Amino acid sequence: MMPGKQAEPAKATAKYRSQFRIYVDIMSVIQRESNQAKPTRILYGANLSHDRLVKYLEELKALGVIQEIGTDDKIYSLTQKGIEFMNNFRRVESFASAFGFKI
Amino acid sequence: MPLASFFGFDSLMEFIAFVIAIGIANQALKGYRLAKERTLLYLNISFVLIGAGLLVDGLSSLIVLMAGARRGFLYLFAVGYSINFLAQLVGYGILVYAYIHQARNVNSTALLAAVPFLFFERNAVTELILIFLLIYIATQTWINYSMNKNSNSMLVFGAFASLSIAHVFFLIFTVAPIFFPFAQVAQLFGFLLLLAMLLRVNHPT
Repeated sequence: MMPGKQAEPAKATAKYRSQFRIYVDIMSVIQRESNQAKPTRILYGANLSHDRLVKYLEELKALGVIQEIGTDDKIYSLTQKGIEFMNNFRRVESFASAFGFKI
Repeated sequence: MPLASFFGFDSLMEFIAFVIAIGIANQALKGYRLAKERTLLYLNISFVLIGAGLLVDGLSSLIVLMAGARRGFLYLFAVGYSINFLAQLVGYGILVYAYIHQARNVNSTALLAAVPFLFFERNAVTELILIFLLIYIATQTWINYSMNKNSNSMLVFGAFASLSIAHVFFLIFTVAPIFFPFAQVAQLFGFLLLLAMLLRVNHPT
């Protein structure tokens, strides 16, 4: 779902990111980092607080679209399901964008 | 143009456009299922309606053609055309609503009230309403293209510009029948541009 308007009048044009959009942003950062991203990279790349990042990473892991790899440091990568999801998302984004719709 | 050729040509053009419209509707539905973005649902409903209208119109022309364009069957052509016209009006109306919904600058109830839900036969006034809707959509797609300079956006703009021109020809056709093939070709060209966009989205180079 597309986000609604900010409560604060001064920021009326800013929009909330939907949960779906945050998932996509996190997965995009991982994909951009050659499918191996550390939490700090994801945190900055997806513009999230630490607490929210941990929450979303757990949710994405539960959905089976990302996985934790590495032994010492936490490194996240997309699973095959995650890669397919991102490919489908890119197609949908490109289609919607051709009509001028944002997702 | 002989009557049989007229109905045959009309039927063929409508069937091709129907297949493309359903392809667009299907892609929009896939997108809606993935992203749950409401504008994609509007796009889906819009093209399902446009496709259904084209199918009904194409079928009615085919039946008239198969019946040898006998006078008794000619009313079917008018029925098919009326249904197609209504479907297009509501379909393009929904698409206009989708653009306004995205811009969030108009009350949705006000817009719904503006979408007419009356049966009518082909005439200049209803064609003008369709042209108005299509020009609005073409303008929105032009703005989109001018902002992102993307080839797919250009194809969508070209498609709606071509559909607008097609309906201008359909309008002129009500007084000058010679414009009928031009209208059909312009409409087909518009749908072919949408097909090209669909293929590019699904098979990026």
